[in-house]
Amino acid sequence: MWSNDFNQKTIGSKAAYGSEPTFNLDQVLACPACDLLIENKPVQPGEKLICPRCDEILLAPKSNSVNHSLALALTGLILFPYAVFMPIMTLDTMGIENSGTIFDGIISTWHTGYWLVAVILAMTSVAFPLIKLFLIFWISLNLKRKRIPGYLPQMMRIYVHSDEWGMLEVMMIGILVTIIKMHHTAHIHYDTGFFCFTALMLTALGSSLALDKTEFWRQIEHGRIQG
Amino acid sequence: MNSLASALTARKAGLALCHDCRKLTPLNPKEPGTPACPLCGASLHFRKPGSLNRTWALVITALILSFPANILPIMVVNFIGKSDSSTIMEGIIYFFQDGSYGIGLVILTASILVPCFKIISMILILLSIHYHWQTWMRHKALLFRIVEFIGRWSMLDIFVIALLQVLVNFTNISSIYADAAAPYFAGVVLSTMFAAITFDPRLLWDA
Repeated sequence: MWSNDFNQKTIGSKAAYGSEPTFNLDQVLACPACDLLIENKPVQPGEKLICPRCDEILLAPKSNSVNHSLALALTGLILFPYAVFMPIMTLDTMGIENSGTIFDGIISTWHTGYWLVAVILAMTSVAFPLIKLFLIFWISLNLKRKRIPGYLPQMMRIYVHSDEWGMLEVMMIGILVTIIKMHHTAHIHYDTGFFCFTALMLTALGSSLALDKTEFWRQIEHGRIQG
Repeated sequence: MNSLASALTARKAGLALCHDCRKLTPLNPKEPGTPACPLCGASLHFRKPGSLNRTWALVITALILSFPANILPIMVVNFIGKSDSSTIMEGIIYFFQDGSYGIGLVILTASILVPCFKIISMILILLSIHYHWQTWMRHKALLFRIVEFIGRWSMLDIFVIALLQVLVNFTNISSIYADAAAPYFAGVVLSTMFAAITFDPRLLWDA
């Protein structure tokens, strides 16, 4: 996995600031968490390349990444409006029923006057998940068709940065906590939105997990050189 | 095991790793200006610019905001004309008294333990760089990875309150609203997340 002599060898070679490196750039990899230079070895899907110094996962290739993320992102995009705009559940206390959607949650927070909280809710549970799904869909569609438009690297950058701001999984746990909290005091009916949201959360999570960033960047770079 | 000094890093080899696409590009530190990554166009640096100052600023912001977030009430419950507001901790104690230990533990972890853990860990990592502590290196690297991973999960309480606000809204009988601590709590979560983003873990190993 990691050869000590590689590091020794390259130290021995002249590697000074500004001078051209003496090794082939395609054969080295730098750890993003500790900056160690590591020999880039081919890794099979299911295997991982781990930094010998700080244990950061450097490569974890996924099989058939483009197809899987394309399919999951498309499914997510179809489910999206239903998950956000259909009622999640109905609470029934003493014959009075009340139901709500994810979108209502944002609107009602806005009306309480805590606009910062409402904006954060809107970004993390609606805007970023939607942006992420759309970007995964569009980038993998282009890669599948072997077309690399000039804006694709920019789109991929936006995806890399928006990755942790989509919080559907956290919202899902929030829904479960709400259910557990309320099931003593009210009858809970699960509505369409609940099932659509669960499915959306799973497909969005799946599409992010299926997306192999290294492979996507490699294909973008490769396609740009050829095109 | 390589000693810190002998390990060849990308910077020593004159290579800058792109933050966004992880492409390695030769970079001359003596040349002025910030060059762009040839693949994705992101600006190239050996290390994130101003990383320590920005991270310190955000961690201190989070620390300051966590006081109003925990002292002020986060939620108001109206039940038949009687209104009752509770802080984060009071809400958790209520769960434990009610016998809902599981859910109490989940909220305790997400709202109190995780933010505390994030702030303490980041201060420890920053101090370790400041004073060149070169022990427990792998553990500090792991600590930062944990901070990065758990960042988003503290948003849980905000989501729960937003959902309750919509679902428990039986006009005259009972209703639930977010209260004054909510924006401060959201601020704590945001600033700790940004602190993890602005921090460059490679600085740990530069020392």
